[in-house]
This record gives sequence, C-alpha cells and structure tokens, in this order.
Amino acid sequence: MISICLRWIAVGAALSCLLAACSDPAPVFHPDQNPQRLSAWNLFSLSDSELIPSQASLVFLPANQLFTDYAQKLRTLWIPAGSQAQLVDGEIDFPVGTVLSKTFYYPTDAEGNLLQRDETAEQSINLQHSKLIETRLLVRRETGWDAFPYVWNEDATEAFLRVAGTSTAISLKSDTGDLDFVYFVPNENQCAGCHVTSHPDGGLHPLGAIASQLNWKNPKFYTDDLEIQTEMFVARGWLNRAPIKLEPVSWGDSEADIEERALSYLNIHCGHCHNPEGAADTSSLILDGSHSQLINMGVCKTPVAAGGGSGDRLYSIVPGAPEQSILLYRMQSVEPDEMMPELGRSLVHSEGIALISDWISQLPGSCL
Amino acid sequence: MNIYAMNSLAVLVSCGLLSACGQDEPAAPTLSFEEALQLQLIEAEPGDIIQIPAGIHAMTRSLSLNVPGITIRGEGIDTSILSFRNQLQGAEGLLVSADDFVLEDLAIEDTVGDALKINESTNITIRNVRTEWTSGALTNNGAYGIYPVQSSNILIDGAVAIGASDAGIYVGQSTQIIVRNSRAEYNVAGIEIENSTFADVHNNVAVNNTGGILVFDLPNLPVQGGRNTRVFDNQIGNNNTANFAPQGNIVGTVPAGTGLMVLANDNIEIFGNTFENNATTHVIIVSYFITERPFDDPQYDPFPESIFIHDNQFSGGGSSPDSEPLKALQAATGQAIPDVVWDGILVPGTLPQQVLCLADNGDASFVNLDAGNGFATPTFDKSVHACSLPKLSVITLSSAVK
Repeated sequence: MISICLRWIAVGAALSCLLAACSDPAPVFHPDQNPQRLSAWNLFSLSDSELIPSQASLVFLPANQLFTDYAQKLRTLWIPAGSQAQLVDGEIDFPVGTVLSKTFYYPTDAEGNLLQRDETAEQSINLQHSKLIETRLLVRRETGWDAFPYVWNEDATEAFLRVAGTSTAISLKSDTGDLDFVYFVPNENQCAGCHVTSHPDGGLHPLGAIASQLNWKNPKFYTDDLEIQTEMFVARGWLNRAPIKLEPVSWGDSEADIEERALSYLNIHCGHCHNPEGAADTSSLILDGSHSQLINMGVCKTPVAAGGGSGDRLYSIVPGAPEQSILLYRMQSVEPDEMMPELGRSLVHSEGIALISDWISQLPGSCL
Repeated sequence: MNIYAMNSLAVLVSCGLLSACGQDEPAAPTLSFEEALQLQLIEAEPGDIIQIPAGIHAMTRSLSLNVPGITIRGEGIDTSILSFRNQLQGAEGLLVSADDFVLEDLAIEDTVGDALKINESTNITIRNVRTEWTSGALTNNGAYGIYPVQSSNILIDGAVAIGASDAGIYVGQSTQIIVRNSRAEYNVAGIEIENSTFADVHNNVAVNNTGGILVFDLPNLPVQGGRNTRVFDNQIGNNNTANFAPQGNIVGTVPAGTGLMVLANDNIEIFGNTFENNATTHVIIVSYFITERPFDDPQYDPFPESIFIHDNQFSGGGSSPDSEPLKALQAATGQAIPDVVWDGILVPGTLPQQVLCLADNGDASFVNLDAGNGFATPTFDKSVHACSLPKLSVITLSSAVK
C-alpha cells in the first residue's frame, strides 16, 4: 500500500493520490493549534469512493441520538496510545489528547439526490452513494474540551474549519415528497450552546460519549462477547473500568416502556440546556430526568419567557392533550424563535413528535 | 500560512494526510460579513473593542458572544444597524453569556425572537442601543428587546425599545440593576423588572405600551423574592396599546391602559413620576392571586408588601378600563377608575398600611377593590394608607460596570 503512494509521489501525480491506499497512520492530537483542514488530524483515510476512520479509532454509537435533519452520523473516538480514561463518579473522564469526531452526511441515489433515511450507523462512508456535509470534533485539551466544526468541500476532498459555521440549502427526497431546508453548521459558540451543560462550570462536555449513553450493547456494529461499548473501551485499555449502570433505554426502542422512551428522548434533545444548571434553567423546565416534580417537567407549568413559542397554549404539558401542550407545539414549529431545540434542526422530527404526543396522551390528570 | 506549510511537509513524510498528495490543494472558503463578524466575536480577546460600521447589516443567524471583557460599539443608535429581517436561525439577535460586557451605539432590528439576550453575566452596560420591530406592534414580533436574565450589575442607559410582543426592556432573575434615560414604546410591557432585587428605574419614558412599567414576582422560578425596586422620575403615559402578547404569557393578562403594575413584590418605592392618560389606571398593586393562575410553590410569596407611593403627579386616565372588574367598578360609580388601584388581598393578620402607603400625591384617588371577596365592597378611602415607609437606598453598581 505504501509503495503505491510513493510511486504516485515519485511520478509527481497531480490530481488524486489514492489516499486510502497510502497507509493508516494514527490520528494526530493538536494540543493548541486549530488546524484549518480536517486532514491535519489524520482521523480518516479518504479515497474517491470511501471515507474510512483510522483503525486506531473506534466507531461508536450512543444509545440515544440527537435528531439533526435526518443526517446520518459516523462517530469516532480516539485516545492516544498510553493514555486512559478514568471512571470518576460513574462518568467517563477522558484524558488529554482524546478526539471525538462526528461526520454528518446524507445517502444519495443514482442521480445524486439526497435521501431521507433512518440512521443506518455505518462504520465507514461510501462516497459513491453519500454526500458529506460536515465533521465536528470535540478535542480534550489541557484546558478542557474544544469544539471545531469542519465543513466538507463540494468534491469531498477536504473539510475546512468554519469557526463561524455556515449554511447550505438542501433538498431531501423522502417517501412523502421533497424536504427543502437550510442546513446549518453550528458556529463554535453554538457548539457551546449545547455542549456547555452547566453554566456555573462553563466548560464543554460530550453529550453522546458519556457513560449513560455508551453503556449499552450496540447490535449494529459488534457481535463478539464485548458488546457493551464501555467494555470495549476497557478491553482496548482506553478506560480503567466499565460503569455499572444499567443499560440506557433508547427512545427509538419500540419494545421499551413509553414513559422511559419519552424521557430518554427529552433528555437527549433538551436536557443539555433544560437541566438545573443549564442555560434554560431560567425557565424552570427541567427535562434531563433530574427533577421529579411534575411541574418542573412541564406538567401544567405556565411559560416564563416563551413569547410566541407558547403557540397561544397555556401550559407546557397538558396531561392527555398533546394538542394543548406548548412542549409539543415547540417541537412541531420550525420558526427560529419558537422551535425546540433551538439549534440542530431545520425540519420537524416526525418520529419524535409521535413519541412525545403518545406519551402526553396517556398521562393522567388535567390542569384545571 | 504556517499551517499550510506544515501540511505540505507532513504529506511528503507520511502521505497520510487526506488532502494533499497532489499539487492542487482544495481551496479554502471565503467568509461573508456576517460570518466574519461572528468569527470576530468568537476569537475576541478580553479588552477587545469590536466595531460595527455605519450601515444596515443583514444577518441571517443569531450572533453570540462568550468572551468576557468585550465592547461591541457601533457608530450610532440610528447609524449602525444589525437587521435580522431575513433571519433564518437562532432565537435571538445577539446572545451574550460573558462578564464585563459593553454594547453601545447601535440598533438591533426585526429579530424573529429576542433582540438582545444576556444570560448569567456580571457587569453589563447597554448604552444608546435601540431594539426595534419596525413593522409596529405585532403579535409575531419577538418577545423581548433588551433581556438580561440571571445577571448582576446591569446598567441600561439611553436605550430605545420598540415593538416587543412581551417587554421592551426586561430584566429577569437579576440583581443590582439601573434602567435610566431610556424610552420604551409600543411594547406590551415597556419596562419590566421580574423576579429581581435592587433595581433603580428612573428618568425613563414609557409611553404607548400596553403597560408602561411592570414590577413582577412569579412562582416556580429558580430566582424569586422580587423586592427593593425604586421607580422614580419617569414619564409614564398613554399606555393604551391593545395587548398583543401571545396567549399563555403572563403579560398577556396585563390590561391595556396600565401605567405601572406591581405584582407580588415587596419594598417598592414609587415617586416623582408623571402619569398621564393611562386608560385603565395609572398604578395598580396586585397579588399573584389576581392572575387566577394556580401555583404550587411553598417558597413563593404571592403578596405585595411595603409599597410606598409618594410625590407623583397624575392626570387623565382611568376612563376606559380594559379589565372586567374595573369595567364593573366604572359602571357602578360612573367615575373614572382611580389613579391608584389595590386588589386588597393581603397576608392574613396584617394591615392595609403594611401593604401600601400613599403620601403627597396631590389629589390622587384610590380604590381597594376587595378582590379577595369577589370585588364585593370596593372602598375609596385613602386615609387608611396615609403613612410613610423608609426610603430605599440608591442603587450603586459595581465599579467594574463601565
């Protein structure tokens, strides 16, 4: 493989060295520089046909995934050789040098149209049948986590750091017609808008690569004995011991209890702000599962600063009446000042709406 | 440039980098004005001054700042305009979560949501800033113009807030606050101090709103116990714009024609204000019970206490109340609604003069609505409230506020 590449260089070939065939070097941790090009991190090998994570990385899948306009996501974790994450108070404390990546892409048909699909959770991306949008990095440095949004160029030959984010018009073919929308790549402050989960703390934190979301068997990737992902980390020497928590309920698991599914959904989509120390604690609507008082979960709770986001409805959740519940209104809206979550989507998430609607429908009680 | 050079070098060594085996490195993208400004806000260092040049700058996404010690400065309140008329993303125009912040001499127009939100920050100056929805008082305007929340040491000076569908200037869950020399017009609430402590609201003009100035304390919020606000030397008039707040929001319950409303706050001093032609009433003091909203919050004090109203001037007003009990009162008396209205609901076992003292307000009229008994026996005798309370202290902000 290396020889192929060397030959290309030797002949001074200009156009497209088959990089995938070059080698599979380990990723590179940049302790303080912010490379303008994604390639500087060495996270992937890339050819005309495929984006493949470095073999030194591990592809992972959290039990609950955030909805992002039906984008497919390829997630990787890499911890430098000789470093190890520690389990502290049940949470994974990743070492300096850890790089988490998430690549957003859409499947395409033969004509190049982008397609709406359920999350397929592939371990590499076939570029003949996909369009790359962006790759976001979370990098653990001495000072804490830093977030970097890289945006792929049209030819899918490189992704560039876009600190201020960007946007792109997308038309997505679905079973029910075309979904036309503007896809937003977050700027770094918007990254912090979700990943700073505690305002007093102020630091960024992973949202998917956390103990409660990783401590599950991932049937899509792995079939050997070490199915629980955290145990795979331990087997790699990346984690000192696995958490003992029970496996999390996935909101998409139709076999599971509807309340647990709904709370899992609200936690992953809302809990990063709507927690007792998060940006949305000003509203007292607490959706990360840490609050047992019904009013703080929105049941019969009047809005505080919702403005038009109230949708002329009186309470966040009206038991038995999703059509009267502000929570559902805000999930159904695509107006920037009304929609929830505020960031991360331009489309409505029909499957999530159906779940939360079903859950509210079967809640007992009333608000009068 | 260094990064490019390093890339090339690394390629020669390992050929492992995905971009650059060949000579044609993919070209880097160029940035719009909007992206360049957001980049400046992200990469700013404490002490930086970010200039907004004169002109109308079209924004499609929220701007945000997380770096402390930054000044954003335009060239004038009508000169440097950030226009969000075509905004596609973000619930605010500018979102700030950063201490030691100064915003001055610019305008934020036509945001889809709040114009300026400042969350959990200390030492904040908003000076000569205008927030406006330019199409008039519309329900689908954003909720708040200038909106500091869970913050402290806040100076709002020389601001102009027009058209908010909730409050033009809204300070929530905060402490150590001065709002002065500002103008709030055609909002649902002109200026609102909510669940906050230690505020001076003075020398402002609050006209043509639904309610001119509101001082509220609401239940089930992480910061409550609203108290110690002085409202003085303001001009509060013609706040008769029909309420255009979306339903469900507490300000949606404010009657059009309200000059100043105090809800469930304690230790409020109201003096030296000029009230004119507020068609429901000039001053209304109410408990949370008047909202008829249920609440379940043992920490919450729904009663107003120690409200001292003195040395104000009242003229006109009360002629066209936008409230069923007040309409009934008007029908029963054949008179305009009095200048000062109290719902009459008080902590059991306490006296009316512990709630409200009136002094030196000329011939201002008064009514106790007896709301606790279904408005059965309103009384108009203000001698019960002829008392005075200790004057509240002047608010002095931290010397770090610029």
